[in-house]
Amino acid sequence: MRTAWRQRLYHLVLWLVSIIFFLPVVWIIMAAFKTKNDLLAIPPKLVFTPTVANFTGLLARHDFFSSLRNSFLISTSAVVVAIMVSFLAAYCFSRFKPRGTDFLMFLLLTIRMVPAAASVVPIFLMYTAFGWKDNFWGVMLFYAMFSIPFSVWILKGFIDGVSPRFDETGLVNGGSRLHVLFRVVLPQVRPGLIAAFIFNLIFVWNEFLFNFIIGGRRTTMIPVTLVTGSLAQGGVDWTFVAALATVYLVPPFLAIYFFQKYLLVGMTFGTVRGEV
Amino acid sequence: MPSFESVHTQTGESTWARSRSGIGGRLRALRMAWIDNSRYFPLMLLMPVLIFFLLWNIIPLLWMVGMSFYNYSLVTGQPPRFIGLGNFVDLYNSFAVWGALGKTFVFVFFSVGIETALGMLLGILFWGSTRLPGRRLALTLLFSPMVLTPAATGTFYRLIYEPTFGVANYLTILIFGAKIDFLGDKFWAMPAVLLVDIWMWTPFMILITLAALGSVPRAELEAAEVDRLPWPQRFRYVVLPHAKFILMLGIVLRTIDSFKVMDLIYQLTRGGPGNTTEVVGITLFRKAFEGFTMGWSSALAVITLLVAIAFTSIFLYILNLRQRGGAN
Repeated sequence: MRTAWRQRLYHLVLWLVSIIFFLPVVWIIMAAFKTKNDLLAIPPKLVFTPTVANFTGLLARHDFFSSLRNSFLISTSAVVVAIMVSFLAAYCFSRFKPRGTDFLMFLLLTIRMVPAAASVVPIFLMYTAFGWKDNFWGVMLFYAMFSIPFSVWILKGFIDGVSPRFDETGLVNGGSRLHVLFRVVLPQVRPGLIAAFIFNLIFVWNEFLFNFIIGGRRTTMIPVTLVTGSLAQGGVDWTFVAALATVYLVPPFLAIYFFQKYLLVGMTFGTVRGEV
Repeated sequence: MPSFESVHTQTGESTWARSRSGIGGRLRALRMAWIDNSRYFPLMLLMPVLIFFLLWNIIPLLWMVGMSFYNYSLVTGQPPRFIGLGNFVDLYNSFAVWGALGKTFVFVFFSVGIETALGMLLGILFWGSTRLPGRRLALTLLFSPMVLTPAATGTFYRLIYEPTFGVANYLTILIFGAKIDFLGDKFWAMPAVLLVDIWMWTPFMILITLAALGSVPRAELEAAEVDRLPWPQRFRYVVLPHAKFILMLGIVLRTIDSFKVMDLIYQLTRGGPGNTTEVVGITLFRKAFEGFTMGWSSALAVITLLVAIAFTSIFLYILNLRQRGGAN
């Protein structure tokens, strides 16, 4: 009986910790359902009559649908391209180990470790010189490159876990190289593919700086709309910002709810495996 | 899986090709001599990545290194002028750069330190949470700060820190009876920014701690339980030898990420008030895209690149250590 109570208390503490971490997000979601007067009220209102006016207002904004569409289109296509390219490269690194594999893997990792503010300068110079700014392909392919290092690292780890005997068996029995690649190895690294897909999607979905610099009116994604909206001249339109932020955070939230077991591998570059 | 059952049944190439149809059969028809007989198959696999690499990394990198030797401003409209190592000398003598480096160091030190301590404590707290009702939702709530973009969390916190109607100030007035302009005050800006970073990334250290604790073999823990080893020693001799690699990887990753911090601070304070929260990333961004001094910023970018390479080497060193150590 005593242990049951201790257990219950322990669980209560865990839930409290989780909720405390989530509180700031709750505050924004609440703000999205408040009228402007409720939002600016002093003292802050905890109880209020919710309104959806902010969301209908969002629909009327010219930049909402375009940034939502850009976010979806650019992030999914970039990640799909990146994963196809990375799968081939990871297979090559894992099986053939060409000279310079370690060095290339090191370089790929370095790309992700460089502060974005540093790499945005040369990318900006290059994009202005080539005239690729605010071009769907320019931005999308940049994000594909942005996603490649992580995907290669994570997929190489998973392909290393598939015994080369599978490849040998497939080849000896008359399968072609493409057959081995796509029908033998690919199905076995599905968890790696899912983890790479989900986490690159989140990273691209969240990316702000490059989109701000090399994007333009036609390629603006949600984070940039959020920031420009919140830095507007002559007072910030807080209800708009809160409503947009609420819409923005639905996909990442769902992603970690449904793909929680990939969270660890996703946040550590595929270097730490295991479940939490 | 068709490929595996057929491994045992097929006798020759021709029967194999005839006996199967469907997607597998069609894919086998993709047998292309130029792929299957080529000595350059590995190179073909690598080609797409190398093209991406050349276009988006090698060219910009060379551009950046080259530009760092020039005096090039987008404002004056004059063509780049070669000044050799002038930019680097200027960087070395620049008060702003050293100040920014100092602030970055303070930021990294406090954020990583507090996140590690807090994350490890909470991680140990969450160790026995497997039977928590609604565990998945609770962990989603707990881990969500780290998958939200800094651009959005910065926005949240500007609303929360807002001096007139923000909830943070409501609380300070309630408790201390004083109003604090968190983001506008020279003393409070850095702690306020740090607090947001700690809120965002402590969950990451919790995640890492859970993974590290999970890597300790169950048998050894049970042996310690049977021996009634006191908890401090249990951590010292049973948990730590297994957990330290993952913890170290986590700490290095956090150090790298917090060295990179830019969009969070940009959204919260834009480096202000004055330059009290101006870390290296912000300096770089402002010089490049508000001051448009491309040569000078390229030089600073080269320096940060070197720092990133150093960090990456440390990360890989620990990773290799772990693999050689054989700790799963």
